[in-house]
Amino acid sequence: MSQDHTTPVRTGAVLVADEVTKAFPGALALDRVSFAARAGEVHALIGENGAGKSTLIKVLTGVYAPDAGTLTYGGEPVRFGTPLDAQHAGISTIYQEVNLVPLLSVARNLFLGREPRTRLGLIDFRRMHRETDAALRELGVRVDVTRPLRSLGVGAQQMVALARAVAVDARVVIMDEPTSSLEPREVRTLFGVIRMLRERGIAVVYVSHRLDELYEVCDAVTVLRDGRVVHTGPLAGLDRLRLVSLMLGRDMGEVRSEGATKFSGDHDPGTQPVLSAEELSLRHTLHGVSVRVRPGEVVGLGGLLGSGRSETAKAIAGALAPDSGRVVVAGAPVRTGSTPAAIRAGISLLPEDRKAEGIVPGLSVRENIALAALPALSRFGLVDEARIDAVVDTFVRRLRIKASSPRQRVGELSGGNQQKVLLARWLAMQPKVLLLDEPTRGIDVGAKAEVQGLVDELAADGLGVLLISSDMEELVEGSDRVVVLKDGAVVAELTGADVTEDALLHAIAATGEAAA
Amino acid sequence: MTELSLRGAELDKTRMVRLLQDYGVYAGVVVLFLVNVVVTPNFVSAENFRTQAVQVAPVLIVALGMALAIGSEGVDLSVGSVMALSTSLISLYLGYGPWIAILVAVLGGMLVGLANGSLIAFVGVQPIVATLALMVAGRGLALVLLPQLKDIRDPGMAALGSGGVLGIPYLALIAAALAVAVAFVVRRTTFGRRLLAIGDSRPAAQLAGLPVRRVLIGAYVLSGALAALAGVLATARLTASDPTSLGTLMELSAITAVVVGGTPLSGGRVRIGGTVAGAVLIQLLTATLIKHDLPPSWTQIAQAVVIVAAVYAARERGKR
Amino acid sequence: MCGRKARTAARLYARLYRTPVPHVRTAARAVIPPRGVAPRGPRTSGDVMKPSAQPRRTTVKTLVASALCASLALAAGCAKSEDDGGGRKSSGKGGDSGQVVASPGAGGQQTCSVEEFGGEKLDLKGATVGFSQSEKEANPFRIAETASIKDEADKRGLKLLTANAQSQFSKQISDVQALIAKGADVLVIAPLNSDGWGPVLRTAKARKIPIVTIDRKINAKACEDYVSFIGSDFVEQGKRAADRMIEATGGKGEIAILLGTPGNNVTTERTKGFKDRIAEKAPKLKVVFEQTGEFAREKGQSVTEQLIQSKPGITGIYAENDEMGLGAVNALKGAGKKPGAVKIVTIDGTRNAVQGIVDGWIDGVIESNPRFGPLAFQTLDAFTKGEKVAQDIVIKDSAYTEKNAEADLGKAY
Repeated sequence: MSQDHTTPVRTGAVLVADEVTKAFPGALALDRVSFAARAGEVHALIGENGAGKSTLIKVLTGVYAPDAGTLTYGGEPVRFGTPLDAQHAGISTIYQEVNLVPLLSVARNLFLGREPRTRLGLIDFRRMHRETDAALRELGVRVDVTRPLRSLGVGAQQMVALARAVAVDARVVIMDEPTSSLEPREVRTLFGVIRMLRERGIAVVYVSHRLDELYEVCDAVTVLRDGRVVHTGPLAGLDRLRLVSLMLGRDMGEVRSEGATKFSGDHDPGTQPVLSAEELSLRHTLHGVSVRVRPGEVVGLGGLLGSGRSETAKAIAGALAPDSGRVVVAGAPVRTGSTPAAIRAGISLLPEDRKAEGIVPGLSVRENIALAALPALSRFGLVDEARIDAVVDTFVRRLRIKASSPRQRVGELSGGNQQKVLLARWLAMQPKVLLLDEPTRGIDVGAKAEVQGLVDELAADGLGVLLISSDMEELVEGSDRVVVLKDGAVVAELTGADVTEDALLHAIAATGEAAA
Repeated sequence: MTELSLRGAELDKTRMVRLLQDYGVYAGVVVLFLVNVVVTPNFVSAENFRTQAVQVAPVLIVALGMALAIGSEGVDLSVGSVMALSTSLISLYLGYGPWIAILVAVLGGMLVGLANGSLIAFVGVQPIVATLALMVAGRGLALVLLPQLKDIRDPGMAALGSGGVLGIPYLALIAAALAVAVAFVVRRTTFGRRLLAIGDSRPAAQLAGLPVRRVLIGAYVLSGALAALAGVLATARLTASDPTSLGTLMELSAITAVVVGGTPLSGGRVRIGGTVAGAVLIQLLTATLIKHDLPPSWTQIAQAVVIVAAVYAARERGKR
Repeated sequence: MCGRKARTAARLYARLYRTPVPHVRTAARAVIPPRGVAPRGPRTSGDVMKPSAQPRRTTVKTLVASALCASLALAAGCAKSEDDGGGRKSSGKGGDSGQVVASPGAGGQQTCSVEEFGGEKLDLKGATVGFSQSEKEANPFRIAETASIKDEADKRGLKLLTANAQSQFSKQISDVQALIAKGADVLVIAPLNSDGWGPVLRTAKARKIPIVTIDRKINAKACEDYVSFIGSDFVEQGKRAADRMIEATGGKGEIAILLGTPGNNVTTERTKGFKDRIAEKAPKLKVVFEQTGEFAREKGQSVTEQLIQSKPGITGIYAENDEMGLGAVNALKGAGKKPGAVKIVTIDGTRNAVQGIVDGWIDGVIESNPRFGPLAFQTLDAFTKGEKVAQDIVIKDSAYTEKNAEADLGKAY
């Protein structure tokens, strides 16, 4: 490895970005950003959504060419024409959204572009399957490697992406929120892999919103805000509050006063359930799940990935047709398997996959908010623009949606604001029940707090809320009651003082043993 | 956005590219128009403008329907056959008078649209396959109904084809009115809003509780009705029903007009103004080449160049 | 009355499914979605789409069928077209179609006899004749051609087997083979293509079946693979059109040509004959405009509209078929021109075009005679009797001008 002695600060630096600038129409995404990934170091890259993390990663991996500034790789200035060039040079990336080929098998994905060949030049499937299986076992994943990737859970897909990165002998591994869809057990495995990478002298760039993880696995940190580097240095000795205030650019006191989550705690629920889902069953996924939510109550759905949380929510919202079971809203039965029927009954779902199933990216903030409520905002099939403006205006202000104008395309907003737009869409329908599937996943700290605060507020207004979250802290602090699912069935229900992380862990763990 | 600092020449360049993509078709029309004013004899005359307007009207009307289909992330290949079917129906029903005949023709087009939409919305056939099936079946049906060209002698139809108000041909007036109507539908109606949402993200639209199937069927029914109407006007202009050749390759002209006009093939966006300009651009291009008596092969090459340019622009736009 | 028509609709529907309308069956197959293709969508949303993609697959055919049926019923149920009841006599049969005579006789040219061909004499009376038509009888030319063959076979009391290739060459090959298999003793073929006849000709040769091709030649040896070709001389047609144009315009001025479909030999030859003759006889007549109207009326009309805008002083228009010529007439009417202001000469001889002469819009129509029946059977009769027949027989094309148009309107097809 070549050493650059003229700049001792960057000793051991494998991949260096120097004064990199990148602009998009209407926004300066990176403003003279310098960043260095060193061999054998796990470097955290953090910042609120829209701070420029994703853009920086895309510049580092050849997706975007920088407008100004230089990239140095292994001491040599480089210019990656395509992501493939960067990949061939030894820079592996694991994106927030798994970017593999969903229809190909797990093994094909792992070996994509470097398939082992038989002597005849054909793909050596046997060897490929064997090696894939071995590589995944090393990461603690056991799946049928011949299955198409999309048939796996998101967590398992992520591990395949990681296995691929490790397998290509990378010198730099960039991880963009790798844990956002992993189970705790998988997270432990991931950290093990990261440490292994560090031992091998690989430079790891780690992007995450979860501060605990950073302190657990990272050595150094670079904080971005509004396209600029606001801090870079070792992580040890930098306390959490300082880090958060750097990210948010806010006052220390303000951050402290907001606490860990924005949830205020208990609500005062009514007595009759506004939503009762009875004995929902769906082949392979749900086995007689029953959930009741009273007005003003936030009910958490706990459990590991694949326990049937999202499926329960979708079955209630009509997006999945259950084989059997009933859904009753405010005493009236709802036809299952029909989204419009569920919506008419007052059920609203914020789906887990916000980008694919939630927002309509090409439409404006305004159109997105008005989408579901269009019939109510129209007369004789004609859209009533004035009423839409009034509704949109109300919600943009109430939910503090940050957009350059209501006409801005939703696809251009940050994740948090997209989520708020979706919330606004449903609140405009004046729902009775709100189903929130991972409402704060992948959105920045500030927006997360706001969304949590909103959920609280809505429950206080008498809405029934069903909350699904992989963030245990969020689930426990936000819920009045937690229903724990395991393999598509309810295994425990925590109420009152029992709603604690400890109890939740125990519930999951206990049933895990019972099931095994 | 806290800061909207637009700096540097490169930023201007990206903006320029985007402007070109969005308004290039209008610029193309203006440039071609000015070129013709200079080089083509007798170009600036009311009679010539009338001719161009009359010739572009059927293509434009078909393109309006096509824009709706494309906006829903689909395509309607059956439009040419619907025109043929429409001309056959006109001929068959003209005995009841032109109004009834036109009504029947448009109903026929709507039925084809209904079949297209049902295949796509309920059966889940891809639009290109579903409408291809009806493209073949529709033409076959038209020829079964009317095996060969037949003259139309109805004075009402003849007036529709060649008459006008204050020197503006009926065909041009009808096409303009329909363009305004379709633009209105896209912009101001719940149907239009829903169509765009479905075209942009079908799963999201479904989860938002939109009546996806109904809207899709509506789009294809409208496309069928517009194509049938275009068939009626083309018949009136020709004063003959010619199901063998009427509307052949019309689907390609219409798609070209829509795409050149800046409507992305990926759906979620419909530009009616652009579609009108796209149709006019191609009409002017063809007219220019014919008026200057350039070899027919040149016309084909020129159209190919425009299509390639449009597809290239669409690709750039697709990148976002 | 409507009830009867509804029954007709049902029959029409049945016919649609039997008639090999190009690709209808392929289309029906294409409509059925290939397995596993149905719901497209982002990976996590597969399950969202499930409800809509469930059964219904079997209904595809029913759906298409019922839609077609409905529209057919709608279409034919109570149809009442403009001239219902009145009705012209179906074209082709009318007029004295016996006027067809080969212009150059057997003398001087290459000839063919049964001995040279290697066949056996037979009496055409009582023989079975197979006729393979290339295109759907959807235009006057094909209608008149088929009708002429049928009429002549009737007249001679022969057994006639017919097939129509619907513009698909592979179908024509199998059509002819089927005709041979059904026991055709002689064949009359209107070929779709000139090439690709090898296998069929070998089969026919093995059974010593004489073949006469009409309107288009095939690339094979005359008097060895087939007996004779009977057709029109398109170059000659072009020349005669030029003569007519020179006469109408007085031999000077600017004229335009509405070309046929590019790359078609009919287009090339009709253009060549016309231009050669103009250059030779009337150098003052200038061809200033040549654009394709693709043999279609609509295209002929559009192109002529552009033409009269940019070249208002045009003296004459030569349309390489009647349809484009009629389109040109439409355009001139639309531009407010008077009949005869622009001289129009066309080729084909359809009834509409001849009517155009009567009305004063068209100055001359050169006939391209589709009535091959008498000549084809006359040739086969002579050949099978053992007489010599010419290998290339050019059918006589007449012409229509204002002198004979009204009288001969009945002859037009």
